[in-house]
Amino acid sequence: MDIDLLLNWLQASLRLGAPLILVSIGEVYTERTGVLNIGIEGTMLTGALTAVAISYFTGNVFIAALGAMVIGGLIALGHAYLTVTRRANQVVSGAMINFFALGATNVMFARLFERERERVAVFPVLSSDGLREIPFLGQVLFSQPLIVWIAIILPFISAWVLYRTVWGLNIRAVGDHPQAVATAGLSVIKHKYLGVLMSGVFAGLGGCALTLSELGYFAPGGMTAGRGFIVLAAVIVGRWDPVRTAVICLFFGAADALQLRVQALGGIIPYQFLAMIPYLLTIAALAGLVGRTVPPKTWGLPYDPKEY
Amino acid sequence: MIKATALREKLVLPAIGELLLSSFRPLLGILLAFIVSAGMIALAGANPIQAYRALIEGAIGSPQSIANTMVRASPLLLGGLGAAVGVKAGLWNVGIEGQMYAGAVGATAVALIPLPVPSWLHVTLSMLAAAVFGAAWGLIPAYLRAYRGVNEVVTTLMLNYVGIYFASWLVHEPQPLAEPDAFYPMSRIILPSARLPILLKGSSLHPGPIIGIALCVVAYLILRYTPFGFRTRLIGSNPEVARYTGMNVNRQILFVLILAAAMGGVAGSGEILGLKLRLYDFFVGGVGYEALAVALLVMGNPLLVIPGALFFGGLKSGAASMQITTGIEAPMALVIQALCVLFVIGVGFAERRWIDRRKQKVTEEAKANGY
Amino acid sequence: MSMDDQLMLRMEGITKRFPGVLANDNIHFDVRRGEVHGLLGENGAGKTTLMNILYGLHRPESGEIYLNGKKVEILSPANAVELGIGMVHQHFMLVEPLTALENVVLGISPERPPFLDLEPARKRFTQLCEEYDLQLDPSTEVWRLPVGKQQWLEILKQLFRNAQLLVLDEPTSVLAPAEAEQLFKTVRRFAEEGRSVIFISHKLGEVLEVTDRITVLRDGHVIGTVPTSQATRPELARMMVGRTVILERKPREKIRAADPVLLIEKLCCKNDRGLPALKDLNLALFPGEIVGVAGVDGNGQRELAECIAGLRKPTSGLVRIKGVLVDHVIADPSLLGYIPEDRRKTGLSIDLNVEENLVIKDYERPPFTQKGMLRWGMIREHSTNLIRDFDIRTPSPSVPVRHLSGGNQQRVVVARELCAKPALVVASQPTRGLDLAAVEGVHDVLLRERNRGAGVLFISTELQEVLSLSDRIVVLFRGEIMGDVAAENTDINLIGEMMLGHRIEELAA
Repeated sequence: MDIDLLLNWLQASLRLGAPLILVSIGEVYTERTGVLNIGIEGTMLTGALTAVAISYFTGNVFIAALGAMVIGGLIALGHAYLTVTRRANQVVSGAMINFFALGATNVMFARLFERERERVAVFPVLSSDGLREIPFLGQVLFSQPLIVWIAIILPFISAWVLYRTVWGLNIRAVGDHPQAVATAGLSVIKHKYLGVLMSGVFAGLGGCALTLSELGYFAPGGMTAGRGFIVLAAVIVGRWDPVRTAVICLFFGAADALQLRVQALGGIIPYQFLAMIPYLLTIAALAGLVGRTVPPKTWGLPYDPKEY
Repeated sequence: MIKATALREKLVLPAIGELLLSSFRPLLGILLAFIVSAGMIALAGANPIQAYRALIEGAIGSPQSIANTMVRASPLLLGGLGAAVGVKAGLWNVGIEGQMYAGAVGATAVALIPLPVPSWLHVTLSMLAAAVFGAAWGLIPAYLRAYRGVNEVVTTLMLNYVGIYFASWLVHEPQPLAEPDAFYPMSRIILPSARLPILLKGSSLHPGPIIGIALCVVAYLILRYTPFGFRTRLIGSNPEVARYTGMNVNRQILFVLILAAAMGGVAGSGEILGLKLRLYDFFVGGVGYEALAVALLVMGNPLLVIPGALFFGGLKSGAASMQITTGIEAPMALVIQALCVLFVIGVGFAERRWIDRRKQKVTEEAKANGY
Repeated sequence: MSMDDQLMLRMEGITKRFPGVLANDNIHFDVRRGEVHGLLGENGAGKTTLMNILYGLHRPESGEIYLNGKKVEILSPANAVELGIGMVHQHFMLVEPLTALENVVLGISPERPPFLDLEPARKRFTQLCEEYDLQLDPSTEVWRLPVGKQQWLEILKQLFRNAQLLVLDEPTSVLAPAEAEQLFKTVRRFAEEGRSVIFISHKLGEVLEVTDRITVLRDGHVIGTVPTSQATRPELARMMVGRTVILERKPREKIRAADPVLLIEKLCCKNDRGLPALKDLNLALFPGEIVGVAGVDGNGQRELAECIAGLRKPTSGLVRIKGVLVDHVIADPSLLGYIPEDRRKTGLSIDLNVEENLVIKDYERPPFTQKGMLRWGMIREHSTNLIRDFDIRTPSPSVPVRHLSGGNQQRVVVARELCAKPALVVASQPTRGLDLAAVEGVHDVLLRERNRGAGVLFISTELQEVLSLSDRIVVLFRGEIMGDVAAENTDINLIGEMMLGHRIEELAA
C-alpha cells in the first residue's frame, strides 16, 4: 500500500476529526449535567457561517472564531432557557434549533454574499519548512492549521477541568444526582445553564473549524452534513469522557476520510458502509454490546427544583 | 353551599379553558412565530407584509398552489402521523427520515418488478413493502426501548443516517436498483403500473395526501375506538398505572414503535410512487424532521396532524413563491416552522400553571363545602 | 449560667402550612449543647418538615430560630451548612459514580479555587475515619459501597464540615443491629465532644438507648418533651398515638366464615432498595371481616399490598386469594379490588377522563369491547351508574380526572375496584389526603363491603381509623407482625407499643 496514501489519509483524519472534537468538548459538559442538546448540528452550522462572515469583514480569523463562539453561546442560552427554566422537552428544542439554523443561515448567507463566494482568511498552518521535512510526522502533524492543534490539546484540558477542578466535580454530580448537589448548597440551575452554554460555545467553535481550517468558504444548504449528530454518537460511545470522546471523534474522522477516499478511488467496500460505522457503533454501545454504557442518571430529564 | 350548577360551571370552565387552550396553544404559538419571523424578514431587507402575501398566494392562491401545498404535505401527513402515534404513547420517534429512506427502498424494489397484476395492486404491494421496510427500521430501537430501556431518541436518530446511506448504496452502480450511467445517483424509473396517478392535470398532485389524510383519520379512530388505542394512550399518560392493570407494557411499546416506523416507511413510498418516480440519492432532504416538527406542533393528536401538515406544506409551497416575489430565500420557511414549534412548546407552561392553580382554588372551595 | 447559654438550638413558634395540611403548628423545640435529642413521632407528625426548615429547605410562615442565642435566618442549605448544621437525610444524597472522597468535598469551597485539591481532603478524611473508627476507603466509588457504609459516608460528610448540630433522619432504617450499635456509640461520642445531635426515629428502643431528652410530635404539634431517664415506654407510646377520643365504632354483626379469602404464608420480599421488607409474614383474612394493618409508615405496608396484588414478586412464601395462587398481576375483578396507596401515581391515569379511568382494567372485556371495538355507549352507561352509586361528584363522565378533588378521585378508584364485588378488598392508605367528609365516605364503603361478605384488608398509618373500622388489628413493624388483636375494647397503648417494635408476647406481662 502506498505510504503516501496512508499519510494523506491520516492527515485528513486529523483535519476532519478536529471540528468533531471541538463540538464534543461542549456536548460532554451539557450531557453530564443531564441536558441533551441535539441542536449542536444547527449551532455548528451557524458558527460556520458566522466565522466566515466575520472573517470576510474583518480579515481576522481570531475575531471570527470568537464571534462564532459568542453566537453559539447565545443559541445555547435559548436552549437552556427552554429546557432548564421552562422544562420543555429537550429533543424538541434541539431539533427546532437545527431547523432554525438551516433556514436562517441560508437566508443570511444570501444576504451577505451576493457575489460569488470569495475565499476568506483562514487559520494559519502551524509549521515550518524544517518541521515539514520530518518523515511521517511532518506530513501528518506539521501541516495542520492552528485549529487542529487546538482540537488536539483541548480534550486534555477539558479532562483536567472535569476531573480536577471543583467546577468539574459539580458538573459530574449535577447530571447524576441533582438533589445531592442542592442539599450540598450549590445551585443546580446555574450548573445546568453553564453546561448547556459550553455546548453552544464549542459547537460554534467547531463550526468555525469546519469553514476556516482550510476551505475558507461557506456552502449553504447544510454544510455540516450531520456532523453534529456524529458528535452525539461519539459522546455516547466515549462514555461522556472528554479524552475518550475525542479519540472516538478522531476515529469517526478517520472513517469519514476513508470513505471519501474510497468514494473517489473505488474499492471493495462501498463507501456508504464506512459512513454508517459511527451510527451503528453507537447503537451497539447503547445495546450493551461494547461494555457498559450508562448515561448520567438524569440524562434528558427535566429538573424540578421543588423536589429539591 | 355551592349549588351543583355553579360547581359545574366552576369545574367545567377550566375544563373548557383547557380544551380551548390545547387547541389555542398551537395557534398562539404560530401567531408569535409569524410576528418574530416578520421581524427577521424585515431585517433581511424585505417587506414582511409583501412577503406574507406572497406566501399565502403560493400556498392557496390558485388551484396549482393548492395542489402544490398538498403534494408538499403528503410526506408530512404520513411521517407526522408516524411521529404523532409515538408521542401519544410517550415515545419519541425521531427516525422518520431514515424510515422514509428504508420505506422508499422497499417500495422502489417492488415497483421495479414487473408484476402481472392490476396497477392498484402493484401500488398497494409497493406501499406494503415500504411499511415492512420501515417497520424493520424501527425494530431495533423498539426492542431496545421496550426490553432494555434504551432511550429511543438516540437509536432512531442514529438509524436515520444508516437509512440514508443504505438507500444511497442501492442507487449507486452496480446495484440492481441503480440507473446505469446516471448523472446523479438514482434508481431506475419505476414501472408505469406502480405509479400513483396524477389527479390534477398540469400539477404533480397524486393521491398521497389523500391517503395520508385517510390514515390520520383511521389512526384517530384506532386510538379512540380500539383496545390497542386505549392501551397506547394509557402508556403515554401513565405507564405505572398501565403496569398495574396487568398490561404487558413492554409489548405495547414494541408494537407502537414498530407501527410508527412503518408509517414513516409508507411516507417515503408516497414520494417515490407519486412524485419522484425514482429513488434519488438523498431525496428526503430533511422532510423527515419536518414531519417530526408537525407532530410536535400538534402535540401528537392524529386529527390535528392534518391541518398541521397542510400548514407546513403550505409554508413550503408558499416559500417558493415568496422567494420569487421578495427575494427571501425559500429556506425561510424552515425558520418559521421552527419558531412555530418553539413558541408552542415554550408558551404552554405558564398557562398550565395558571389552569392548575385555578382548579385548585375551585376544588378547595368545593371541599370546604362538603364535596 | 442561664438556660440560654446551654442551648445550641432554639426553635420557637414554628408554623408551616402546605396546601391542605398544617404540617407544623406553633412548635417550640430546643436542643442543648452536647445533647442527643430524640424526635419521635409517626409519619405526618411533622418531624421531617421541622428539620427541613432547620436545614433551609423550607421557610416557615412564622416562628424564629436561635442558634447559640443568636437569631438566624436559614434561607438555604448553604446557609445551614455555614451555621454548622448538618443533616443526614433518609434518602441518601450521594452521587454514585463519584468516589467517597469526591462526595464528601462536594459543595465545599477549596483552598485554591478552581483546583480540586484532594490531598488535604484525603488526609482529613482518613484522619476522621481513624478518629471515629470508620472503615471507609476514600477512593472507592459510592455505588460499590454497601448501604451501611453509605450511611457512614453521609455522616462523615457532616463531620467534615464541622457540623456542630447534626440531624439524623431515621439513620438506622438501613443498618443491621451491629452497625446500629456502632452508630449509637459514635453519636454518644459526638455529644461528649460538645456537638448536639437530633435523632429522628420512630423506633422506641433505640431512642431510649441513645438520647438524653425526647420530644414527641403528633399532628404537627409538640406533645411534650421528657428527659430520657424519666421516660417510660407506655408513656411515650401514649404521647405518640394519643388518647384522643376514638371515632365511634360502627355497629356491625359478627359474620362467621370458614375458609379464609386471603391466606399469606411465610411471605418474604424485598423493597425497592433490595433490603428485606417483609419477613416470614403469616396472615389469614376471612370473609366478612375488616383486618386493619396498623404501623408507622415504611414498615412494609406498601410491599405487603403489592405482593397481595401481584405487583411485587416475593422472595419466598406465598399469597393465596380464595385459593388462587398470586404469581402475576391479579386482573380478575371478582377476586381482588385493590385501592393503591398513591392514587395519582398508580390508581389513576391523570390525563384520561372519569369514564376511561373507570374501565381502565376492564376495557377489553365485553360489554365494553365487542368485535374488537370499544363501545363507548356501554362504557358511558357503566360509568353513569358508578358515578351515581358511588357518589362521584363530577359534571360529566368525560371530565379529565385531574379536575376532580382528591376525594372524588379516590371515589373513582374505589368505584372501579369495587363494582365487581370482589372477594378481597385491599385498601392501602385510602384516606390519605382526603377531608373529613371524604374519609367518612371511604369508611362507609369499606364497611359496606365487609357487610356483604368481602374480606377487607385495611392498611393505614392513622391509628384512629384503624381502631374504629377494623374487626381485627395486626401491627406491622419492620416487615413482621407484632401482634393480632380484636379491635373491640382494645388498649390503644398496647397497639402503640407494638407499633414501636414490641411483640405482643413481651407486652402481655
